Amino acid sequence: MSDPDLLKPTLYRRAGSAARPEPPALLGGACACGHVFFPLQSYGCERCGGTDLQPRALTGAGRLLASARVHLHAGKGREAPFTVGSIRLEDGPIIRTLIEGGETRLHPGAAMVAVLAPVTDPQGSARLDLRFMAEA
Amino acid sequence: MATTLKDLRPVYVAGIGFHRYQFLSDTPYVTLGLAAVRAALDDAGVAWPAVDSAYVAKALLPMAPGRAMLRHLGDHGLPIVHVENASASGSAAFRHACMEVAAGLADIALVVGVDKPMPVGRAESLARIGSLADDAIAPFTHFALLADAYAARTGASVEDIALVAVKNHRNGSKNPFAQHQKERTLDEILGGKKIAGGFTSLQCTPVGEGAAAVIIASEEGLRRRGVGLDRAVRVASSAGRSQHLYDDATRYDAMLTQETTQIALAQAQLAPGELDVVELHDAFTVEEVEYVEAMGLCPDGQAVPMLKEGAFDIGGRCAVSPSGGLISMGHPIGPTGVGQIGEITRQLRGEAGPRQHPGARSGLAHMVGVGAVCYVHVLQKP
Repeated sequence: MSDPDLLKPTLYRRAGSAARPEPPALLGGACACGHVFFPLQSYGCERCGGTDLQPRALTGAGRLLASARVHLHAGKGREAPFTVGSIRLEDGPIIRTLIEGGETRLHPGAAMVAVLAPVTDPQGSARLDLRFMAEA
Repeated sequence: MATTLKDLRPVYVAGIGFHRYQFLSDTPYVTLGLAAVRAALDDAGVAWPAVDSAYVAKALLPMAPGRAMLRHLGDHGLPIVHVENASASGSAAFRHACMEVAAGLADIALVVGVDKPMPVGRAESLARIGSLADDAIAPFTHFALLADAYAARTGASVEDIALVAVKNHRNGSKNPFAQHQKERTLDEILGGKKIAGGFTSLQCTPVGEGAAAVIIASEEGLRRRGVGLDRAVRVASSAGRSQHLYDDATRYDAMLTQETTQIALAQAQLAPGELDVVELHDAFTVEEVEYVEAMGLCPDGQAVPMLKEGAFDIGGRCAVSPSGGLISMGHPIGPTGVGQIGEITRQLRGEAGPRQHPGARSGLAHMVGVGAVCYVHVLQKP
């Protein structure tokens, strides 16, 4: 049963991972070959081609590889400026995500942690969406 | 070991033609494409009925624009194939045309790229694999993230990376087919409209409309029609690859560029330092510094110091993007890879006028396309 308050409940959950119970976990996957990936998919493993793919909750923490303040955005429902970042999760995969508190310059290498931030969905309802922010 | 282009009969670029790359206008794509094709046929000294096969590269135009354009050159009946491979559509079309001529299935082939900006989706979005923030990450933001990572890795500043745009706008100001034909100072470039990260609008390619065409041929195909090899340029190698699963998944374009370039240079039996001119996929400034390093034109992390020395200027060690590149000449998508072949041919012929790189004998054309795919061709003066 997915959490109705989450904007993208197939990608993350409120509960953390076994390694770090605090930050929300990302819903990734792992192949029998050892490849760990995000998000979960069932088409086939990008490394070995195998289809024995199991869900794995990935820790919502990692290191910032890069960030960029976006000043121009054409898509509806999102007003510039906002900040996006590349983060290598502690479990290995690299993700691209929105950064909370990105008004101040972030430096590559910074420790980052997942948070759930209030947003409004396209139908006007209040939801929570995953962001990352610099770890205090 | 599979056969390479080098093992088959030699293939030459015998003619080139362009319609200027420009902002979207009311001009029908047929007008754009025919201008480029007629110019390429004239340049080669080849009549339309002598063309055995046609490749039409496009990524944005709707289905099957080829015959609706080519029929205006006269009744023919030749095979026409359309090639869509994102930004690398023109490069892919060129590769397959070269393979057909090299294999002896055709003596003379036309490659034409033509496009007009139109809204198109990306098939990957139909795979129903969710993403945290893809809707927030336009291509310029993807490359702004790479620029931030490059700066952290090498110590380069926003101003350093923007020097690519100064050079390429200077080159493009001398190219009558370029979309942007104005020299720009660093201050003008940095003071422009802010896009993402350190990027301003003049550090990003304009996507417009246009056309580019080349005629490729075997030696016997040309001689049979009374055309010599005096102005022909040899296609020394062709390589096409798609991305692997990389440890740093964000740097796929650079990793893929490195692999594909190594294959193409090995086939051509050339070292990176022997290249005189390079046209590469500089849709965003950071791409040029990343790719000259990936190609081996300079050591890792040395692109900015070499750029500052003028090593990549026309007249420098290796002229990079003498056409103005995607940043200044533009990126109408379908034509772009074909246009690179046209520019390198012009340079190797010594016919590039005010933007001629002196003594150019070997050139390399490089495109990446979303997916990601990569194509590299090496051209040489016979």
